[in-house]
Amino acid sequence: MNQGPGVSGISRRDFLRAGMVFGAGAAGLAAGYAAVPDVFARAVYTAKQDGVVNDRVLVMIQLAGGNDGLQTVIPLANSRYRDLRPQLSKAADTALPLNEQWGLSASLGGLHKLYGEGKVAIVQGVGYPQPSQSHFDSIRVWETADPTRREQDGWLGQTIAKNYDTAGHPLIGCACGTTSVPGALRDLEATLTVVQDQKTFKFQGGEDVDRSVGALYTGTPGIYGALFDTAVATARDTVAQLKTSAERYVPKAKYSDDSRLVYSSKNQLAAALQLAAELIVTGTGVKVLHVTLGGFDTHYAQQNRHEQLLAYFDQAISAFYEDIAAYGMSDRVVVATWSEFGRRATENASAGTDHGTAAPVILFGDPVTGGLYGQAPDLAKLDPRGNVGYEVDFRSVYQEILGSHLGVDEREIFSESFERVPFIKRA
Amino acid sequence: MVEQVVTRRTVLAAAAAGGAGVAASRLLAAAAPPARVPVPVTGTQANAMGLDWVSPLENTPAKIAHLLRRTSFGYTQAELEQSVSDGYERTVDRLVDTKIAEPPAFPNGDNASRGQPLKIGELQKWWLDWMLASPTPFAERLTLFWHSHFTSDFRKVGAQSPFMYWQNLTWRKMALGDLRSMLYQVTIDPAMLDYLDLGQSNPRNPNENYARELMELFTMGIGSFTEEDVKAASRALVGWRAPRTEQMVKAQVEESIKRTGNPPPNVPKSDTSRVGVFERNRAVQGGITFLGQTRQWDTQSVIDRILEQESTAPYLARKLAVQLVTPTPSDAYVSQLAETFRRSKYSVKDVIRQIFASPEFTAPTAYRSLIKSPIEYMLSAAKALGNPALTSVVTASGPGMGMTLFDPPSVGGWPNNESWVSSNAMLTRVNYATAAVQQTRKLPPSGNAHEVQLDAVLGPPTLRLLNEAGDERRRWMLLLASPEFQLK
Repeated sequence: MNQGPGVSGISRRDFLRAGMVFGAGAAGLAAGYAAVPDVFARAVYTAKQDGVVNDRVLVMIQLAGGNDGLQTVIPLANSRYRDLRPQLSKAADTALPLNEQWGLSASLGGLHKLYGEGKVAIVQGVGYPQPSQSHFDSIRVWETADPTRREQDGWLGQTIAKNYDTAGHPLIGCACGTTSVPGALRDLEATLTVVQDQKTFKFQGGEDVDRSVGALYTGTPGIYGALFDTAVATARDTVAQLKTSAERYVPKAKYSDDSRLVYSSKNQLAAALQLAAELIVTGTGVKVLHVTLGGFDTHYAQQNRHEQLLAYFDQAISAFYEDIAAYGMSDRVVVATWSEFGRRATENASAGTDHGTAAPVILFGDPVTGGLYGQAPDLAKLDPRGNVGYEVDFRSVYQEILGSHLGVDEREIFSESFERVPFIKRA
Repeated sequence: MVEQVVTRRTVLAAAAAGGAGVAASRLLAAAAPPARVPVPVTGTQANAMGLDWVSPLENTPAKIAHLLRRTSFGYTQAELEQSVSDGYERTVDRLVDTKIAEPPAFPNGDNASRGQPLKIGELQKWWLDWMLASPTPFAERLTLFWHSHFTSDFRKVGAQSPFMYWQNLTWRKMALGDLRSMLYQVTIDPAMLDYLDLGQSNPRNPNENYARELMELFTMGIGSFTEEDVKAASRALVGWRAPRTEQMVKAQVEESIKRTGNPPPNVPKSDTSRVGVFERNRAVQGGITFLGQTRQWDTQSVIDRILEQESTAPYLARKLAVQLVTPTPSDAYVSQLAETFRRSKYSVKDVIRQIFASPEFTAPTAYRSLIKSPIEYMLSAAKALGNPALTSVVTASGPGMGMTLFDPPSVGGWPNNESWVSSNAMLTRVNYATAAVQQTRKLPPSGNAHEVQLDAVLGPPTLRLLNEAGDERRRWMLLLASPEFQLK
């Protein structure tokens, strides 16, 4: 693993003005200005902690609405599964086997191929105690990593705030393909940016408007004043950074957004991941990215819709992996999925599934040790409401990501320690 | 207004010492030379958080402007002057009591089917145009509020029925009604039957989607019911299905003929009803225990039981207070409003009247305590510029700020206030201001726009930039892009 240098002592304006957004390794910075090809895409950011001086990147994909784990990682020969889901269990017939017992949905061909290459870790049975079946309540638990509901800030927002100096580097944390800050990234101390569509991310009216707006939003009074000012300053910094990164990036894979997929406004996953790839390979210093695919709340006529969603997911992540691999950057990126809950073990009478509990978390990337982790849910032991129990606390997954991948001291983020699931390769 | 030459430091010192009274600013004419302009007293004062706005709400005109910002999609100078001459109480009466004006019919809306789907972009523009044109804009604000509360979206419901259009008409009609009848209309609304799946539920294994959100999001709030209550309500509510219009059935037959050469084996009969159809044979018979009571339930008794719950009145009262008054209403205030809600048999109008009469509504802490939603922001700019043609820019700009009509981000509706602020959203707001000014051929005079639209309460940068602006176009752009104009 390359140990990229921390870039300390450079103000954000100097940084942008000097054109050192990328191509600036330690030597380059010492010289003041240089483009060094082999560190072209090295993460350039200022670290607050020693351990986090590395070039590793995390991409979180939210599967919003509650992804059905049992239709994603499918029991291949489980009569109980077929009893509980007379219609949906047909998916087992076409599933792509992972081992004798488990298979991936036939829609996940790209992921299955990566699994075969040892680059996919699937942690089964991930959940938390006394699970909530409210979308919003459970999303909050996953976002704040706090089932007691006391924490306000997001686990990734805290990670950014405590570990990276984001002044002038709004792209250290970036939500792609959306317009608001996702809860997982929220932290008043963390500067991060939100980019819905990179092509339109500029001020109409150019420099003059850019400058005037910067002046307008200075020391804004009132309860939202700091929030406004930070958002505008971040927008201006982001405009400057995207301008330079766009010139340096040509996608090396085919991303396509499925326009037929109208279940959710959050369906620009391919475009969002393409932007993520651009930010990674052009060395903007990005560390934590968040994208969302919606439409997983499949209460009704689930089968086609869920398969289409998974196929779309599969297409988008495959393109993303191909792209960053072609750029030689796949050794530093881990992609992880999360969803507020899985779905009820029993299908309902409208050929859908209601809100459930534990489900698998899927992670992929070169830093991952492939395989099945955790413990598959026991369909013979449902709780009185018809839900599976959880086997792995979701914070065991988060802590492994933070500690073993990003190099963050996870004790700073979590009050409790959980046994890490060892899906990240040890150096 | 006496102009004083002061520095920001002395404003702060004065405010800290004596508690600043109402301060206001006066702009110099656009033609005035920008150099050596004395800085007038600005509309800010120090508080524990730093600078805060000086509330002008003890002055009646400012109080009325505040009321209009929270009850309409902006106003022109003439509209503000009319309301000021009517006075606060009569303006409240007008807002609350005027019979709700119906929009013109959406062309072909009732006939939407698979063969002739609703054009969602046009439907969005149809509503935006009416938001600007309606003589009862408060009804439109409330229709939008209910759209974000009793949510549905065209992505799930689809455009192959008139249902999303019909829902808009229904929500407007019931906007100031009583909660009991509202909840019944919501439950059997065709778009809602599709959106939260009650229309497809089945007694054998009922779909829980609607039952859960009816309690969690629409009435009682999380923590006030159990998972068993969700199951019970989902059983008690089974039986409804969405209606089928003649055009929908016809389109289904045509589709079948096109695909297979034959009409479908069982051609369904069309319905004349514009609400859900109850199919008795699908209903669950027998006693069910729901919220502590065991009996045979029907939709009305389920709603009645929910309205008996302690949590329902405060849950909705709080939501209205957050929408209209302050992001942080006190428990005592919410209790007062909830009490009125219950006593008035859940009259939304009574609660809203109480809100506008309450000291909390015009308290200094309420001033500029809310952030305009993107639609409110963009339409209030179009109003201020007197340019209703901007609604096509509004439909194009909304998604970048996080707001698309008929497409809330989740069943929880749109978030509010600080959730509207991100780098992407602020950039899009600024770009809208630029486009709105560019596309308005004849701009209204900007000289007193800061008084009409911003109560002459300006932060130092806005004041300075407006004073320095060389022409009307730039002044308007700065005013609409300013932090002051984002707030309500």
